[in-house]
Amino acid sequence: MADLLRTGTAPGAIRGRSAVVAVGNTIQGTVPGISADELGVEALRQTLASSGIAKAEIDGLITCKSYGGFGIDTEIGRLAGLNPAYSATLDYGTCNFSLHLAAAVIDAGLASCVAIVYGTTQRSDGNRFTLPLGRQDDAARHGFLNVAGPAGMAFRRHQALYGTTEADLGEIAVSQRRYAQDNPLAIFREPLSIDDYLAAPYLVEPLRRADLCMISDGGACLIVASAEKARELTERPVHVMGIAQQTGLRDRQNADQWMRPWIGQVAERIYPAAGIDREAVDALYIQDPTSVWVMQMLEWYGFVEPGGVGEAFRSGAVGHGGTLPLNTNGGQLSEAYMWGFLHLCELVRQLRGEAGERQIEGLRTAQYSSTFGMMKAASTIFSTEVS
Amino acid sequence: MIDATAEAPFGLTGDDQPFWDGAAQGRLTFQRCDDCGFVRWPAAGVCPECLSRAAIWAQVEGTGVIWSHVVYHRAYAASLKQDVPYAVGLVELACGVRLVSRLVGFPASGPQVGDRVSARYQEVGDHGTVAVFGPVD
Repeated sequence: MADLLRTGTAPGAIRGRSAVVAVGNTIQGTVPGISADELGVEALRQTLASSGIAKAEIDGLITCKSYGGFGIDTEIGRLAGLNPAYSATLDYGTCNFSLHLAAAVIDAGLASCVAIVYGTTQRSDGNRFTLPLGRQDDAARHGFLNVAGPAGMAFRRHQALYGTTEADLGEIAVSQRRYAQDNPLAIFREPLSIDDYLAAPYLVEPLRRADLCMISDGGACLIVASAEKARELTERPVHVMGIAQQTGLRDRQNADQWMRPWIGQVAERIYPAAGIDREAVDALYIQDPTSVWVMQMLEWYGFVEPGGVGEAFRSGAVGHGGTLPLNTNGGQLSEAYMWGFLHLCELVRQLRGEAGERQIEGLRTAQYSSTFGMMKAASTIFSTEVS
Repeated sequence: MIDATAEAPFGLTGDDQPFWDGAAQGRLTFQRCDDCGFVRWPAAGVCPECLSRAAIWAQVEGTGVIWSHVVYHRAYAASLKQDVPYAVGLVELACGVRLVSRLVGFPASGPQVGDRVSARYQEVGDHGTVAVFGPVD
């Protein structure tokens, strides 16, 4: 690993060349009277206001297409009064992918201060998360709707292979709810015990309501800057240490597609890219449209042995009150479904010591891993110090 | 050479109507590449293995193995209200295609991962006759 760092040949080894300098988000839940695009711009306004960064500093804009086709850079730029040197829209920005593009754009010198903007009104617009991601029209005819379909199948197969129980899976939602109880932004804050979890009815057996995310209106924003620019803009940059991605675009033509084995390739790359060992990760963030994706990523990244998820939480190795904090905002299962953007807002606040009641002391390095449904995976490692 | 005067110089972009027409007649059919023999689904005008545009619709053996399965207790569309609870599985067919389909005719203990299944044809929802899968006789 040291050799790779010296020669700079590890893919995604962009250690310290860019940093998150500000994050912000709007209220979540049902937010009437404002469009998806204007929610994104409102998140930008709040981010600039709370960080003291002037709008004129923004020379890059990366937006993320949201439910209903909103969130296009040309429209957001007009609303926000920006003429940035660089702009782009990702159809699947889901936070990590937008962040990686920002880091690459900064690395190429196309911009030095990139605002990543996301806004959605999918709760008010009635998105019931009905259509599965991907091209599965034939499956829809059989009533195979909602991410709970493929996630439920992935969990049931995992049960058959490793003996994992529903009570094991339930530990994920229960842990995240405990964090959410200390998060005023979270939509679900009432206590959830493992007995409550198991007593709830199935939606798509073997999954229950608590295994699925909470759709929300809202906006979120991140400002990412070059190392040089970051020094001008903040005393507490959160450095991007390394990034990694891998796709599985052939979808169901791939074997075991819903186990998402290509996450394992990201896991092989991300630690060499960041130049750290997995054991150095102080806090973990995993995007969670379903609890099953959390279980999968805990295993693929090597934090939990296959089939060991329940014991990892019960023993205190992972989760609320445990050695390795996980999704300390409550995640999308309890806080709000913002395509992963709120995980990164929380990660940055925790590393900067700005997480209020939820603040966990002594954090230096954190990892955020996400996926775009059944299509691709990404991971980023951040640190408060580059050395 | 491409004949620029032809209405469809590259051949038609694949549509999946022959798949549904075949099911209505009790047959399971997919596109098979005329160059490399790869059987593909979903339908497309190009082979994802060798990028050839030459293909025929071929009948395949309707047998496979259950990769996994779920039971829908919630109806995510109004047309499904009369169907819940219903079982759906991912079937890995002998021809290589992985097909999502209803699972029918299993004992009360339900289907299991790894069960061998075979196709049968029945009406599902508003969509006419489709291939569904049940225990091998």
